[in-house]
Amino acid sequence: MNEEKSDACGKETAPLPEKENDFTTELPSGTGTPSDNAPVIKAEGVTYSYRSGEQVSRGVTGVSVEIYPGEFVVILGRNGSGKSTLAKLLNGFLVPDEGVVTVNGTDTADDDKIFKVRSEVGMVFQNPDNQMVASVIESDVAFGPENLGVPREEIETRITEALEIVGMESYRKGSPNRLSGGQKQRIAIAAILAMRPEVIILDESTAMLDPKGRREIMETILKLKNEKGMAVVLITHYMDEAIGADKIYLMCDGEAIASGSPREVFSNEEAVRLAGLELPVAARVSLNLKKAGLDVGFALTDEELAEEICALK
Amino acid sequence: MRIEVKELGFVYSPKSPFEKVALDDITFTVNEGDTLGIVGSTGSGKSTLCRHFNALIRVQRGEITVGEIRLHAKKVDLKTLRKNVGMLFQFPEYQLFADTVKKDVEFGPLNFGFSAEEADAAAREALELVGLDFDEVASKSPFELSGGQMRRAAIAGVLASRPSVLVLDEPTAGLDPRGKREILELVTALKAGVTGTVIIISHNMDEIAEFCNRVVVLENGKLLADTTPDELFNRSDIVERTELDYPHTVKIKRLLAEKGVFIDSSALNADELSAAIAGRFKA
Repeated sequence: MNEEKSDACGKETAPLPEKENDFTTELPSGTGTPSDNAPVIKAEGVTYSYRSGEQVSRGVTGVSVEIYPGEFVVILGRNGSGKSTLAKLLNGFLVPDEGVVTVNGTDTADDDKIFKVRSEVGMVFQNPDNQMVASVIESDVAFGPENLGVPREEIETRITEALEIVGMESYRKGSPNRLSGGQKQRIAIAAILAMRPEVIILDESTAMLDPKGRREIMETILKLKNEKGMAVVLITHYMDEAIGADKIYLMCDGEAIASGSPREVFSNEEAVRLAGLELPVAARVSLNLKKAGLDVGFALTDEELAEEICALK
Repeated sequence: MRIEVKELGFVYSPKSPFEKVALDDITFTVNEGDTLGIVGSTGSGKSTLCRHFNALIRVQRGEITVGEIRLHAKKVDLKTLRKNVGMLFQFPEYQLFADTVKKDVEFGPLNFGFSAEEADAAAREALELVGLDFDEVASKSPFELSGGQMRRAAIAGVLASRPSVLVLDEPTAGLDPRGKREILELVTALKAGVTGTVIIISHNMDEIAEFCNRVVVLENGKLLADTTPDELFNRSDIVERTELDYPHTVKIKRLLAEKGVFIDSSALNADELSAAIAGRFKA
């Protein structure tokens, strides 16, 4: 279904391949095509249900996901679609009832290796206030590596490096109390970075932030991908945040109902509607105009839409 | 109910090293029937201003009149005021506390002197208003509800006292797109019948553009503008200096104007904008 739709869209906009290149060059490209390498995280036919007493509620059903080094992957879906459950399965927070999740080949169900898995896949959560463990920012960032038994001098280097990449080095000796939500989330990201994971998962980490905070986090994500070659998995219900992704998994009722590039997934109107999401305004307008009989191709961003419309003149 | 704010000023921790001016010489009026948006970056004083409206913060300097009640007077009838001004804080689902949804929603009315039967009826009505089935949720723990349902239950708790002004501090933060739309449509429906005046604090300019008829902009505790959304988004000086975003519809119109395509329309939602563009090119 997915393929069909994107093809249909491709036919109408003849210069589509070129455009796609334009779009990706806007976001400086990462560490080359990821598909040459082996995936860092691989989930195959994963199913998980929550049980409390007699009650069983489904989390995810038969989901397969592959995350490659240096990829920015977005898991998109509304509340209750199973996206957070999926995220928690990817670093062994939860272990699947059926199917297998491997991180660099290690099965997350293997209890003896769970610490290895967690050190390779770090996770940042929704509420920035719940993730601070220390009263001084540098101690907060040091908490992870200290627990991993990293030597003191090495920890110092890691703190500097982690705070630098999130742009918070000048706050090192400060207290987390007076920071804005976006700043706190960046500290939470730094605390994960100090453990040097290969993948960082942000579980709705932008949901409680204001637009400025969200922008800060999105910029940080692109920096991690482009400068550190890290894989980033962002769980979100904002379609806007998914526009710059390399790959999107669209979740609905515990299943991944579509996956592919933002263009492929967003032009799949049926899947977007099923998932209960709202297309970015530019995409909606471009589809409306096409329905009104104008020769306008599918646009993801405001800029693309403006270009499409100007071409009508 | 009309709210008049005159030369309002507020200082946190006055005469201490932590002294911070939160509001400075704010004057504006909220008319009966307005859906007023209050915007500004984090720390601009939006929440401090709103907390004045039901006297959670007492007036330090200046005057506020809500209907007939003068909040700057020595003695304020808090009970009447708080019954009339319903306030919903950020992430209100964190403020649910009772062991059943019914008790939670009845808490306000009972405190405002409703009888047990009246409170029961008010809870029933409020839950129906927000689209929750009374019989299904009444005896449930509020913590068994989904995120969107919890927020509705919290709104029902405010509505049960039948306020004539509803103050909402970022009512849609953290909700998914459908949840957002549901809450905003609920607010619109409430305005039609229940509460005449709504004040919304929001960071989401698309929401402000679509749902508010007026908007005030705060910056560092000062009133920067008191205008309509349409006017505001034409004032690039204000939008850019306060780090507000433009709604996408306005961004698209500006991009087109740069390229010499002028869309003569005040459309602030996707469908209206599409119609305006289609109209221009089909003519």
